[in-house]
Amino acid sequence: MTLLAHAIAAAPPAVLSPEGLRGRPLAWSEASAGLGLWSTEWAPDMKLERPDALEHHRLVERICAAQPCLPVRFGTAFASVDAARASLDKRSEVLHAALARVSGKSEVALTLLWRRRPAPVEPVAGPGPGRRYLEMRRAEESERESQQARAASLVERILAELAVERPLVWHETCTSPSVAVSLAVLVPTEEALQRKADLARIVAGFDDVTPVLNGPWPPYTFARTE
Amino acid sequence: MNELTAEDASLLELVDRLLNKGVVLTGEATISVAGIDLIYLGLNVVLTAVETLNKSQERRAS
Repeated sequence: MTLLAHAIAAAPPAVLSPEGLRGRPLAWSEASAGLGLWSTEWAPDMKLERPDALEHHRLVERICAAQPCLPVRFGTAFASVDAARASLDKRSEVLHAALARVSGKSEVALTLLWRRRPAPVEPVAGPGPGRRYLEMRRAEESERESQQARAASLVERILAELAVERPLVWHETCTSPSVAVSLAVLVPTEEALQRKADLARIVAGFDDVTPVLNGPWPPYTFARTE
Repeated sequence: MNELTAEDASLLELVDRLLNKGVVLTGEATISVAGIDLIYLGLNVVLTAVETLNKSQERRAS
């Protein structure tokens, strides 16, 4: 029986509705180190689709609401219960530590989108095509560097005003032409909405980006163990 | 490239987390996502959100 993994939690398992992905049975596979895996009993020939990813998210939310858990990367599957148990047993110390780190906490996500796209660089009128090309590349590079610097300064301001410990914040800048900052904060679940409001207040003063706030979500970003 | 709306950004942030974050466990089975077999490279799932983004844009374009 194939198991499609959703989340890792400490034993004993919480009492949950028995419905997993697409209404298939939700299973708890307990390993020997006091950990267990919540997964859906799956069939190898069943292909996962985009809605399944979102349903996996809702399942992880349900599990995390019932007990502290570590979300497992979507698409992870095991050929048998024994394989799932063995995988948990092999990394039990690391998984216990990660579980303790995120226990009682949720993730709030912030994306800052550039409000104005940089104007396309016009080729300079010059002597030859080689010179024009180099001038254009130099202007593009200069624009990129300026965006990077601005994105970094936005992050610094957010971190300073939010006043949280650095290990509880993850961020990337300029991951695509539209995205200035992608940031996640790990916060106590009971304070998540307040911290989200704090973030909204902090970024409201930035006039060159549009903020998109999400969450509270399960602690996906902070569950990594590698 | 098209402008990214707030709704797109939210979905992409979530999909990025589902596919690129979270605990990576050693899996054994192979399951397909949207018809593409996940490759267990070094026994870990490797599938980037960039691929998901590209597919999403292709679907929109078609």
